[in-house]
Amino acid sequence: MNSIKKITPGIILTVITLLLSVISIIVYNTNIAGEGYFHNAAVSNAVKFNVLGIVVLAVAIVLALVPVEGVLAKVLTILSDVCRIVAPALFIAAVLAIVTARVEGFAFIYFSNVEVLQEVQTPANISSAHGAIANIVFLAITAVVGIVSAFFSTRKEA
Amino acid sequence: MRTKVLVPAMRGVAALSASLLVLSTLGADVAETYRKNLDDVLGTTSYVTSTDADSARFVSDYETVEDMAAAAKDIAIREGQEGTVIMKNDNDALPLSGTSEVALFGLAAYAPYPYNAGDFRGGNDDAVELLQAFEDAGVTVNSTVKDFYVNLMNKHEVVTQNMWTGADEYSIGFDYIYNTTVGDMVDFAITEVPANEFENLGLASDWKSKINKEDTTAICVFARPGGESNTYGAGTAVNYAGEKTGEDPLALSEDELSVIDAAKETCSKVVVLLNTGNAMLISDIAEGGAHEVDGIAYIGCINDYQCIGIVDVLTGKVNATGALTEAFVADNSSIPAVQNFGGDYYADAETLAANAENGYDERYPNVDITNTSAVGSFGGGDPTYSGGEYIVEAESIYVGYKYYETRYFDAIANPTFNAASAAGSTQGAGWNYGDEMVYSFGHGLSYLPYEQNIKSVEVENTVDGNVTAVVEVKNNGDADGNFLAQLYVSQPYTDYDKENLVEKSAIMFLNSAKVFVPAGETAEVTIEVPAKYLASYDYKNAKTYILDAGDYYFTAAAGAHEAVNNVLAAQGFTTADGMDADAKGTATAWNGNKELDTVTYSIENDVEVTNVADDADLNYWTGEDTVTYLSRQDWEGTYPINYNKDVQITLADSPKAEEWINLLKGKVYEIASDSPATEGEDKGIRFDATSIGYEQLENVNDKYWNELVSQITIDEAIGAVIHGGSQTDTLTNVDNPIVLQNEGVCGFSAAYTDEATGKVYHFNVNSQTLLGSSFNPQLAYEWGLVEGNSGLWLERYQLWGTGLTLKRTPYNGRNYEYISEDPMLTNRIGYGTLKGCTEKGILNGPKHLGFNDQEHTRNGIAVYLNEQKLRETDLRGFQGGLEDAKGLAVMIAFNRLGPTNASAYAPLITNILRQEWAFTGVISTDMVNNIYYFTPEGSVMAGITQMADFATNDNHINLGEGGVDGSWGYLSLDAVKNDSALVEKARENLKYQLYTFANSALMNVSTEKVEVWWDTVLNTIKLASGILLVVSALLWLVFSVKPSKSKEEN
Repeated sequence: MNSIKKITPGIILTVITLLLSVISIIVYNTNIAGEGYFHNAAVSNAVKFNVLGIVVLAVAIVLALVPVEGVLAKVLTILSDVCRIVAPALFIAAVLAIVTARVEGFAFIYFSNVEVLQEVQTPANISSAHGAIANIVFLAITAVVGIVSAFFSTRKEA
Repeated sequence: MRTKVLVPAMRGVAALSASLLVLSTLGADVAETYRKNLDDVLGTTSYVTSTDADSARFVSDYETVEDMAAAAKDIAIREGQEGTVIMKNDNDALPLSGTSEVALFGLAAYAPYPYNAGDFRGGNDDAVELLQAFEDAGVTVNSTVKDFYVNLMNKHEVVTQNMWTGADEYSIGFDYIYNTTVGDMVDFAITEVPANEFENLGLASDWKSKINKEDTTAICVFARPGGESNTYGAGTAVNYAGEKTGEDPLALSEDELSVIDAAKETCSKVVVLLNTGNAMLISDIAEGGAHEVDGIAYIGCINDYQCIGIVDVLTGKVNATGALTEAFVADNSSIPAVQNFGGDYYADAETLAANAENGYDERYPNVDITNTSAVGSFGGGDPTYSGGEYIVEAESIYVGYKYYETRYFDAIANPTFNAASAAGSTQGAGWNYGDEMVYSFGHGLSYLPYEQNIKSVEVENTVDGNVTAVVEVKNNGDADGNFLAQLYVSQPYTDYDKENLVEKSAIMFLNSAKVFVPAGETAEVTIEVPAKYLASYDYKNAKTYILDAGDYYFTAAAGAHEAVNNVLAAQGFTTADGMDADAKGTATAWNGNKELDTVTYSIENDVEVTNVADDADLNYWTGEDTVTYLSRQDWEGTYPINYNKDVQITLADSPKAEEWINLLKGKVYEIASDSPATEGEDKGIRFDATSIGYEQLENVNDKYWNELVSQITIDEAIGAVIHGGSQTDTLTNVDNPIVLQNEGVCGFSAAYTDEATGKVYHFNVNSQTLLGSSFNPQLAYEWGLVEGNSGLWLERYQLWGTGLTLKRTPYNGRNYEYISEDPMLTNRIGYGTLKGCTEKGILNGPKHLGFNDQEHTRNGIAVYLNEQKLRETDLRGFQGGLEDAKGLAVMIAFNRLGPTNASAYAPLITNILRQEWAFTGVISTDMVNNIYYFTPEGSVMAGITQMADFATNDNHINLGEGGVDGSWGYLSLDAVKNDSALVEKARENLKYQLYTFANSALMNVSTEKVEVWWDTVLNTIKLASGILLVVSALLWLVFSVKPSKSKEEN
């Protein structure tokens, strides 16, 4: 009961951010594993930033939930907060890495000359582009929720 | 309480500002990479150019933009006037001046192809369509038919929103229109509304009575479209009802013929206009056809103003002087080149894949790379070498009319050559010219009767010499007019040729000119052409150009068939021997060459001309005579089989299998590791007007150029070549101007906005098809000047502004961009266009050198051929513009030559282009869309100056993850720094590029980068978020450490 009482809006939002970031990486993997233009088109920097963001958020949550008090609690809270400041920036970096890697593909698929659209805009390529867009959108939402969560504390004031 | 609120607030602000800082910092890098694209989308201008008018070497010939636009319009109208080809004209159907009314039938009559602006067309506000051109010319257009089509088609504006700017974009749409998308060898719907649908779709049942048959001429217009990546497929036609008919898509469909029949029923005369860049199958409407019409005219693919000129021809305002750039045959399956079109896979193409079974490619460890052709032309999907397919161009030099006319000649003059055998016959048991050919190359009727004869021919038999023919044109008509004089030659076909498989067309077009002749008078016109084009390439024995001993018959004629008859008559043959008509002119024999000459044309630009492309021949790889090239000495025994289906080509069976497979995998050059390259260092030498004087402009080998490029760092030398598309970036130690690249074959697609009036001008009003069918190199030159002038007005200096690939078959969807099936017509039109542009300092690069003659699987298909074909067909088409006119740029083909990507094929780029032709210009790849197909080190070593990727500001090979190249992970500074040959070759390539820039209008200008609004936004966000991050993070830390007030109070 006590532990439930300790769950603050900050914790909830941070956990949501964590879940969204995990979904983002699942969407990414689904996209590059699927048929179409971005099949096998890995973007390792995006993965690095996304995974790093997940780790940082997990650390933030763990640190926030460690049952300590006093100076140690304050130190852990500061460390947890640093993680929550950094995490959204990592997701933004991941978004930009994905956008950079995908922009030429999007240009081919959506903006090719009219006479070649028939061969470019195949169902597989369109689906692949949608997957990549979903990946970008999820990462962006993750970053935004991460920023919002930073406005809420993860520990209840004594 | 205050702390309790401030800590989370400051933490949140810190998180927000950290994210914004990352967004703006990394986003600025991304934006920088795609600056040109962002400028295009957002309408911004990141680079401004300033012209120093006082010292400009290249200045516009036009003082006002109105004058500039008027000059472009004038060329376009003349293209219509000179390019419209009257193919058939019986019963005085044309000119129309004698009739009181015309009835326009066919969807294309009310919206000639192409009707939308873009790559194909300018889109000026004052563009004139065919209907308006008729009405403006005072021709009465039948309102019943017109109203029906206009209402049915319902032309309307289609408004779409630019997804980035939100701005409205307009295009033209119709409820009923012909199909404008060919697709890639897929079903092609011919959507012409058949006559039996007219009344169902709103035409009054008494419509026929509304046409005064006796006084009305029907004009029926039918279109066939084209497009990049598009290829027609034999037997793919679909009719109006959506049913597959199995017919050729280039044949007039039953629905179209029904429209013609309706026109014949309701009008006294019927004229059909062919609105296309592809030769169509029109036996049905030609003489003796089941739907024969009175007149047929070719009008090509129009642009904004060509219809004015077309109507000028149809109404007889000007004499008809256009001629066909392609042979129109009865059945495309009779064309030797069509026997090998499209291509297919090697029998063991899977050998090419890199995988666990075959072994991985050391450049791409553990990456599965397939052999399949990339999706369409645009890559994506699984990694692939795109190397599994091939085609054999076994027709040798016999492309288009050269096959039909030579076989006709041999049927009469050389009966032992089996010309009348069944091989290649589609109309009967034995091959007969008259059955297979409908209208030959060069055919075009004149309204005014005339004669053309050669008065004299001089052959200056040297590699730099000329053939100079004086042609006498006699106007037998009662009106003044222009006339077309065409010069042809028939080379001797000797025993040496037969023994060594040197092929000779019985008739070869050389050049042409237009001449004005008053009624009843005679005028002379001098036609020149370089003598080197008389020579033939002997790839078997002499392994260089040869000039045979014997009689060379020169003749002036209205087309290839008339020319061959003139030659036959000069050799003593008559209709009794099988000629289908008497000669209409004379042929003059030149026999100044008394013995086989293997020397005169074997040195060009001080370079020995010899075989360089043996490995482009499939026989080289199979080690046996797998391919039999078409030879006129045995039409039956050498008529091409299909080398994809009739034989099995197995890579593994080759005695050179390993080498073959490696080349198909793009392993053209192995980067060395034992020869350290010299790092570039700043010596204070710069690319500027004060350093580049007369000597430097004249001599690419002047020491200035070598010193200039020696400053380029290893990273930039390689990086600038392999990332050279969209724009050419500034090199650190060179300070060269930025050069933006532009499209397209109709002229610069960029528009000019007059700031004073707000009026928008489009100068891209050229029609390649009509420029070709004008047969007028002088008009091409004048267009080149206009195109060059427009570059000066637009302040754009490099464009891919003409297409010189040969029309090998009628099926290529991109034929509308090209000139002709004939190398010399292409050569002379290319000469004119590029000469004009070069004189105005504009880099006009023709597309796509090296047999890019089918769009299907163009991004990887291997084209196999022998060296005579290599040199005398596609390459000869480019030679006039690039060598003779000293063109400043060229784009290389997308396909392979032999197993090697044409853009990495040194025999083409270095041996022939750079050395034999002494070409000093920019050499670009086509779109680099597949890193496994395009190999940077191969292209650098071949002599490419810029590989066309589409990012900008990416002159480096260390921009990828871990300091490797952003595209090719196996390239890095460490990987190339120990290969001095590679680095020096890259610097040499850049030297040619910089030398060309110096000799262009670029030297008129300086380019300066300016901050645009989105730069300001990004920089402001970067600064503000940085400050905010520091402040908020500090405050958050202070408030976090500080004991909370409430606690203290407690």
